[in-house]
Amino acid sequence: MTLSRREMLKAQAAGVAALAANMSVPAEAQPVTGGVDSLQIKWSKAPCRFCGTGCGVMVGVKEGKVIATHGDMKADVNRGLNCIKGYFLSKIMYGSDRLTQPLLRKKNGVYAKDGEFTPVSWQEAFDTMATKAKETLKAKGPTALGMFGSGQWTIFEGYAATKLMRAGFRSNNLDPNARHCMASAAYAFMRTFGMDEPMGCYDDFEHADAFVLWGSNMAEMHPILWTRVTDRRLGQPHVKVAVLSTFTHRSSDLADIPIVFKPGTDLAILNYIANHIISTGRVNKEFVEKHTTFVKGATEIGYGLRPDDPREVKARKAADPGATTPSDFQAYADFVKDYTLEKVSALTGVEPGFLQQLAELYADPKRKVVSFWTMGFNQHVRGVWANQLVYNLHLLTGKISEPGNSPFSLTGQPSACGTAREVGTFAHRLPADMTVTNPEHRKHTEEIWRVPPGIIPDKPGYHAVEQDRMLKDGKLNFYWIQVNNNLQAAPNSSGETYPGYRNPENFIVVSDAYPTVTAMAADLILPAAMWVEKEGAYGNAERRTHVWHQLVNAPGQARSDLWQLMEFSKRFTTDEVWPPEILDANPNYRGKTLFDVLFRNGNVDKFPLSETSPEYENQESKDFGFYVHKGLFEEYATFGRGHGHDLGPYELYHEVRGLRWPVVDGKETLWRYREGLDPYVKPGKGVEFYGNKDGKARIIAVPYEPPAESPDGEYDLWLVTGRVLEHWHSGSMTMRVPELYKAFPGARCFMHPEDARKRGLNQGAEIRLISRRGEMRTRVETRGRNRMPPGVVFVPWFDASQLINKTTLDATDPISKQTDFKKCAVKIVPVTA
Amino acid sequence: MPERTQAGLVHISSAVVSAFPERCAEVVARIEAMPDTEVHRVEGGKIVIVMEGASTGEIGGRLTEIALLDGVLSANMVFEQIEELDDIGVNS
Repeated sequence: MTLSRREMLKAQAAGVAALAANMSVPAEAQPVTGGVDSLQIKWSKAPCRFCGTGCGVMVGVKEGKVIATHGDMKADVNRGLNCIKGYFLSKIMYGSDRLTQPLLRKKNGVYAKDGEFTPVSWQEAFDTMATKAKETLKAKGPTALGMFGSGQWTIFEGYAATKLMRAGFRSNNLDPNARHCMASAAYAFMRTFGMDEPMGCYDDFEHADAFVLWGSNMAEMHPILWTRVTDRRLGQPHVKVAVLSTFTHRSSDLADIPIVFKPGTDLAILNYIANHIISTGRVNKEFVEKHTTFVKGATEIGYGLRPDDPREVKARKAADPGATTPSDFQAYADFVKDYTLEKVSALTGVEPGFLQQLAELYADPKRKVVSFWTMGFNQHVRGVWANQLVYNLHLLTGKISEPGNSPFSLTGQPSACGTAREVGTFAHRLPADMTVTNPEHRKHTEEIWRVPPGIIPDKPGYHAVEQDRMLKDGKLNFYWIQVNNNLQAAPNSSGETYPGYRNPENFIVVSDAYPTVTAMAADLILPAAMWVEKEGAYGNAERRTHVWHQLVNAPGQARSDLWQLMEFSKRFTTDEVWPPEILDANPNYRGKTLFDVLFRNGNVDKFPLSETSPEYENQESKDFGFYVHKGLFEEYATFGRGHGHDLGPYELYHEVRGLRWPVVDGKETLWRYREGLDPYVKPGKGVEFYGNKDGKARIIAVPYEPPAESPDGEYDLWLVTGRVLEHWHSGSMTMRVPELYKAFPGARCFMHPEDARKRGLNQGAEIRLISRRGEMRTRVETRGRNRMPPGVVFVPWFDASQLINKTTLDATDPISKQTDFKKCAVKIVPVTA
Repeated sequence: MPERTQAGLVHISSAVVSAFPERCAEVVARIEAMPDTEVHRVEGGKIVIVMEGASTGEIGGRLTEIALLDGVLSANMVFEQIEELDDIGVNS
C-alpha cells in the first residue's frame, strides 16, 4: 500500500510520539529523517523559557525567526514531550506589542515624572539613568539604590548584576522575584543541611513507591513531571499518591489519599506524622543517631509585616525569628506527642483515616517516598518551618539521598535555582551559598572578583517586600527592575507597591520585552532581548545547568539584560562610587570605570571573540570584544569548584542537555550526601550531610502557629491565589499567545456552589472581591477544574486587567521574608447595577 | 494581539495523552470526535494522537481542551511538521 505524503507524515509524527511514550513501534511507523529538513529549518537545543522543570526543547529557526519548537528526545527531563505552554514557545517573542526602543517619561523635551513615554536613544536613556543614580548616591549613599531581579535571569545576567550592585555600587539592595517564590525553600535547606538545593533528582520518580504532594498542583503547574509521576503510578499498581491541598484540583484526580485541609494547618499534619512514626516505633534509629542532631526553633515569630503592625508588636520573637537552641530526640518526641490524631483531625478538618494512611506512607520502612512541594509550602507565613518539618519526616525514617527516597522542593521559575540561589542574587547572599554577613565569604568573593578588600558591604540589603516599603517611604530612590512584573506579582500592591513607583522622589527603570503593568508604572522602560535572542544558561530544580546559543536577533533596539548591565557600568568611575579611603589604599583602581574593574578584570575578558561559535550570533560578545558568557561563567564557576558546587568546563554545556552539579571529572551527581553516589562523601561515612561542619542534618521542633489573617464575621472567606495550566506567572508572555489567551482569557473566582448561593450569586455572576487592602471585580466560577471547599476561594493572578494582588496581605515568613499568597481574608458581594 | 497566520500551511502534530486505563475508551471516543484529530495508538492508558490544523494556535488550543477532559491525566505535545498544502496535494 502506498501511503500519500500526508499519511506518511502523520505516521511519522505518530511514530515519534509512540517512542516518546515508550511504546513498541511497528516498522512502518518508525520515524524517518529528512522530513523537517525540507523546510530548511535550523534546529538547535535550548531549555524551555517557562517553569523550573527545565525541559529540553529543539528550537527551529528559519530566515531569522523561531518558527517551531518541539520536545527534545535527547533531554532526560522530558524525553521528547512538551507541555502546552512549552508548545507555544515559538510565539512568545512575537507579540505585536513587543518593546523595541527605550521609552522615557518626558514633558517639553526633558525627563519628567509626570511626563508621557517618549522614544529615546540608548544614549539618552543611560545618560538620564546615570544622572539619577549619581544624584541618589551623592544625596543618600548606596543604600538608596536598589535592583529587583529574577529567577528568569540567565546565570550570566544574575552574576553581572550581583557584581555591579555589590562591588560596583556597594549596595546589597539586590533581590530576585524568587523571594516571592522559593526563599522559604532556600532558607530551610541552609538551616537543615547547611547547603542549598535538593539532594535527589527527577530520576527519583521512577524509583518511588509513594508520592506525596504537599500543596503542589503538578498536573497544571509541572505537567511534564506530573506525566512521569502518573506513568509510575499507573505502571506500578503498588504505588500510592497522596495529594494535600486547601481545595480539590486536577492533581487530586490521581490521588489514592486525597486530603483537603484548612489553610495553614499543614504544619500540624506534619507534626502528627512525626508523632505517628515515633509512637509506632518506626524511627530509623541508626540513621538518626549517626546523621542528625536536634534543635528547637524560636516560636511566636510574627508575620513579617511592618514593625508597627499590632501583630508584630505582639510577637515575642519577631526580632530573631530564626533562632534555634540545641535539643535531643527525647525532647523532640515529647514535643510532637501533642499532635495526636484526634486533635489534628479536628484542627485540619481532615478525616482521621486519611491522616493515618498518609502517615503510614512515611512510617512504612519498605516504602520509598518522594515528597513534592512548591508554593503551598513556600508562600506560607511559616514556610521555612513547613519545609523543615517535611525534612524531619525523611530524616526520622532515613528516607533521603537515595533513589526513590527524596524530599523534593520543586521550583516555579527556569533559573530560580541556577541564578537566584546558586549565583546568590538575594539581598544577603553571595555565590555558592556564601553570605554578605560572613567576613571570610566577603574576602573570598573580593579576591575572585579582583576588587579591593572592604568593597562588599556587610549588611544584608532590602528584601523584595521591604524594597516596596522603602520605595514608598522614600528611602530607596533609584530602582531598576529586570525580567519580572512585580507590580502585578507583589502583595498588597495598591497599598505598598504602586505608591513607591510613583513616589516623586524615586526614579524607576524597568527592563522588559513587553509593556507589563510594571513597565507602564516606570519612568524609563528599557527594551529587553529574551530567551534565544541571547546566549544563556539556566539552572533547574534538580541542579541541572543548561546552556543555549543565541539563535535569533532581538527586534529593533532591544538588548539583553546582560548587555544593559555591562553597558551601564561604563558610565561610572571608581572615584564616583567607591570611598576615598579604599582608593587611597588601592591607588591602581583609580580613574577606572566600573566596566573596567568588574568585567575587564583579566578574568571575565580572558576568552577572545574567536572562541565563540562561528555558527551562532553573539551580540554581547561582539559589542564588548570578548567572549562575555564564557568569561562570566568561568569566573563564577571558580566559587563552587572544589566546594561541592562544581560546574564543568563551559564548552561542555553547549554539547549536552544540561548537567547536574556537582560535576566532578566531567561526571554529574544524581544523588548527593550518599557514599558511592556523591564523590564528596568521605569513604566509610555512608551518608554525610557535608554542608554542615558536623556532617549531620538538623531535625527541628516547631509548632503549628495560625496565619497572619483568618476569616472573621465580616471578611468571611479564605483567599488563595495561584496559577492555571495555560498561563505562566503574570501572563506577560502567555497572554500574548492568542490561543492560550482564548483558552483562559480572564481570571475568575473559583467558589463552592453553596457559598455562591448564600450570597445570591449564579455561575458567571459579576462580583466584587474585597479585603482590608483593596478590591477587585471578577466573575464567579462554581464549576470547572478547581473544586473549592466551603469558605475558601481561589483566584489566579495572571490577568493584568484583574489585579488580585490589590487584595492580598503583605505578610511574609519572618525567616525567609517570602510572601504568603495563600492565606488572607476577603468578602464577596454582588456587583449591583 | 492578532496572530499572523501563514496561509497555505498545514501543521501535522503528534501528542501523547495519559488517561486512567479504566476511562481510556471513553477518552479515546471523545478525542476521535474532535475535528482533524486521529487516534493512532492506544496502550494501557497512553494514547498517541495526530492533529492537523492551520496554525500552532489551533493545535495548541485543541491540546489544551484534551488536557482538561475528564479522565485525562496529562496531554503533551511531541512532534510537529509544518508543510505547504500544495506539497501534499490537499484539495480542501
